[in-house]
Amino acid sequence: MTVSSVVVVGGGIAGVSTVAELRKNGYAGELTLVSVDPFPYDRPPLSKEYLAGGRDLDSIALQAPGWYAEQRISLIGGAVAVDVRADAGEVELADGRVLTADRIVLATGGRAIRPALGSPSHVLRDVADADRLRTQLVPRARLLIVGGGLIGAEVASTARGLGAEVMLVDPLSPPLAAAVGIEVATWLHALHADHGVETLTTTVETLLETPTGVAAQLKGEPDSREFDAVLLAVGLVPETALAEAAGLETSRGILVDAGQVTSHPAVLAVGDCARLRDHHRPEHWEAAQVDGARAAATILGVAPAPDTAPWWWSDRYGLHVEGVGEMRSPDAQHQTVVRGVVGEPPFAVFTLRGERVIGAVAVDDPNAVRAARRMIDRGVDVRASDLADPTQNLRSLLRR
Amino acid sequence: MTGNSGNGGNSSGIRVASLDDIPEGEGIAISSKITGTEDDIAILRDDDGTCWALNDTCTHETASLAEGWVEDGDVECPLHSSRFNLKTGKVDGLPATRDTVPHRVEVRDGEIYLFPGERP
Repeated sequence: MTVSSVVVVGGGIAGVSTVAELRKNGYAGELTLVSVDPFPYDRPPLSKEYLAGGRDLDSIALQAPGWYAEQRISLIGGAVAVDVRADAGEVELADGRVLTADRIVLATGGRAIRPALGSPSHVLRDVADADRLRTQLVPRARLLIVGGGLIGAEVASTARGLGAEVMLVDPLSPPLAAAVGIEVATWLHALHADHGVETLTTTVETLLETPTGVAAQLKGEPDSREFDAVLLAVGLVPETALAEAAGLETSRGILVDAGQVTSHPAVLAVGDCARLRDHHRPEHWEAAQVDGARAAATILGVAPAPDTAPWWWSDRYGLHVEGVGEMRSPDAQHQTVVRGVVGEPPFAVFTLRGERVIGAVAVDDPNAVRAARRMIDRGVDVRASDLADPTQNLRSLLRR
Repeated sequence: MTGNSGNGGNSSGIRVASLDDIPEGEGIAISSKITGTEDDIAILRDDDGTCWALNDTCTHETASLAEGWVEDGDVECPLHSSRFNLKTGKVDGLPATRDTVPHRVEVRDGEIYLFPGERP
């Protein structure tokens, strides 16, 4: 059946990528994008430049204002979908409008996890969250960040730049070891102390609102500590309520096949709300973008682009961190190769299985990660000694 | 240096580098003080050795495209992997959404001449 109308619910990178890829690849039918926000915007700056006040909302738009009209995409901004009727191909909005389509794509994202700790606290997921948090990031304000992953670390960096006093707690020491390897994770975590952030390896048991702020009771401490604000940065849960109400199969995400199709053949799901059955659900920007491209290919009935190794980036204290693939601790099958010196940017660390790169992480050396990504995707054999040699051009290793 | 053409009035172009200065797949940035343009200009060398020129600053954020990864007719920004077509400057991949500006370059006797403001 030729698809002549598509409704995409959700204006994050996954939803925008879906509509962009549909048009780019020749889809000429009706195309509607429903966004909770007035227009889709990019989220990575929310913990960095936007939070710091260096960029405004218009400057982080995912597409230029005129792009939707140029692409004949009906952008319905400021709208909330309240019901999806898969068999009928209908999406009902909160204002009563009913959209009909041959295919519905759910790009509903996720919401920040809010542990029940007992007091008002911040999370950081959308512009409104960032705007609220920003009002409290003033010089000498006392900020507690719960969670030392990518978002927690980025906000710690931004808050220090704004003059706030920051404490960061995480039960893992160091955080991110699974993503970047223990050596780099240890160094990255130590950067917090170098920049005046106190870090504690513990958890928060309770938060209690006080006349002057928030009293946080940390596990293992006799007395509570006082803060002006608390940010919970402990992960997200996929937004599956619409899908569940529609009778779609969900389990830690809306379950999809390799073409992003849910348990209903006319409904697809992309981005943070979706999970490929029997797979971990990636929560990175690029993974959501790739989902959108894959969904577009499915709708168009064409083969999707080949999968590539998962890639992510982050920034803290003026350093650019990137990772690709899988970072494994050295064992009988894996070895770690350092290019440069860990702690002296630029440097990169690779994980190899035999002569194949399976993962890499780099600080201020993004092209090392780009090279590694291509080595992984193309299955290029490399010598560890060549990777470790900074005089060796990584691009040339790809050509062998 | 043979001169500064501003918006491209110099018919012979500005000699900005030797071909040997730029390995295949890499680039160099030429200062706006030399090119007379608002932005610096990245001279980028494709896999087959062909030279291209684009405004240097990624339209997404502030990274230098001259430090990007040149491949398959595109340059990939070193920060967030936005992709731009080397010939046209058009965005080939998010997160950038605005095209960048291409400029004409010529290679004569192993020397690279840039024509700021002229389309390739």
